[in-house]
Amino acid sequence: MVKNITIFTTNTCAYCQMVKKYLTAKNMGYEEVNLDDNPHRRAEAHALSGAMTVPVTVVTKTDDSKEVIVGYNLAKLAPAVN
Amino acid sequence: MSEERIHDLVIVGAGPAALTAAIYTTREDIDTVIYEKGVVGGLAAVTDIIDNYPGFSEGVRGLELADSLRKQAERFGAVINLGEVLAIKNQGKHKLLDTTDGDILAKTILIATGCDYKKTGVPGESEFYALGVHYCATCDGAFYRDKKLVVIGGGNSAVQESIFLTRFATHIDLLVRSTIKASDILQRELQSYIDSGKITVHLGVSPKEIVGDEQGVNKVVATNDQGEEVIFNTDGVFVFIGLKPNTSFLQSSLVSLDKFGFINTDANLETNIKGVFAAGDVRSGATMQIASASGEGATAALKIREYLEGRLHNPKIAELEVIP
Ligand SMILES: Cc1cc2nc3c(=O)[nH]c(=O)nc-3n(C[C@H](O)[C@H](O)[C@H](O)COP(=O)(O)OP(=O)(O)OC[C@H]3O[C@@H](n4cnc5c(N)ncnc54)[C@H](O)[C@@H]3O)c2cc1C
Repeated sequence: MVKNITIFTTNTCAYCQMVKKYLTAKNMGYEEVNLDDNPHRRAEAHALSGAMTVPVTVVTKTDDSKEVIVGYNLAKLAPAVN
Repeated sequence: MSEERIHDLVIVGAGPAALTAAIYTTREDIDTVIYEKGVVGGLAAVTDIIDNYPGFSEGVRGLELADSLRKQAERFGAVINLGEVLAIKNQGKHKLLDTTDGDILAKTILIATGCDYKKTGVPGESEFYALGVHYCATCDGAFYRDKKLVVIGGGNSAVQESIFLTRFATHIDLLVRSTIKASDILQRELQSYIDSGKITVHLGVSPKEIVGDEQGVNKVVATNDQGEEVIFNTDGVFVFIGLKPNTSFLQSSLVSLDKFGFINTDANLETNIKGVFAAGDVRSGATMQIASASGEGATAALKIREYLEGRLHNPKIAELEVIP
């Protein structure tokens, strides 16, 4: 079960919009961390994903385990949130 | 088979060609389903500002154009499925599409799958993918605020994206294998960044290796046209060396491709397989612009309508039509 979802995004990232649209279509809420507005959180996104890219989607489960999905990857995102 | 219904039209891809076609077909009540494996809006959506699409005197953000095209197509009833078409099969009257959501049947198919970025193939490129090697400036540029970058390429995309990346990077080394091939207007814009010291262009320079460690990329080893080794210290590399058509899913389909893998079509934008059409960047001879991709999408839609009405391959009916 999903407890909460955080997405790291930037203003110009089209793939970030796709992740947001996908979750909205599934009626799933999420917190968005826009790295253009919050540049100090870039290191956090990098540490979580191990990559210098967005979107980074962090799905926290009710048992507090986390699944991190790098990029717009439906094959990983769909099972993580369903 | 996940769905027995036979759709009038299935469009593969949701870039400008596909979305324009869908606006036309759905307005004429042609039942249209689109499959998109990546971003709705295609390459247009990942472009920062588009300055040459007609109707926008001040230019338009790629994301904004993509969103309007999507909304316009959906307003008339286009259905956009987020999934990939893995193969198509001609079954005579019907076509079968093998997708990540299962099989789907169509009377006609429009292939509008565009192109993807080419890779350099040098050592280090795949190892450091997303760890310092990137292909999408609007996605990953923000990670290079106050850092140094190398951009590889010399065409429109490389120049346009280098200029975009100057928002973040302190300096960009642009490595160009031969000469700059970008349009005059982009070259003039580039010159102002060269003059201000933000971008340095290195002509006749080809990358040999991308080098880094667990922190990410730290240099690009290249050779110049005298065969000498040149080293560029950098925090990241963006690669824009051209595009290759997204046609690998057609391998078993018998759709005719040119020697570069682009789809051959006739004047009706129909492929060698009746009822299978192609439009936009994926088509052999395409001019690789959003306006032309949209134009081809509109043409393909009108030809698909003729096909569905039985007129495209029936010259007698077509002839009668043009008599006023
Ligand atoms: C950096 C850059 C800057 C550019 N700037 C400009 C500009 O300023 N002005 C201009 O006019 N043009 C510009 N272009 C070119 C323009 O983006 C393209 O000409 C245009 O997007 C082509 O549209 P299309 O619909 O043919 O293909 P695309 O936009 O490439 O869309 C094809 C879509 O098909 C999807 N797809 C592929 N295979 C499958 C499959 N098997 N199943 C499902 N979906 C699939 C892809 O994910 C993609 O979304 C630029 C291109 C780049 C790379």
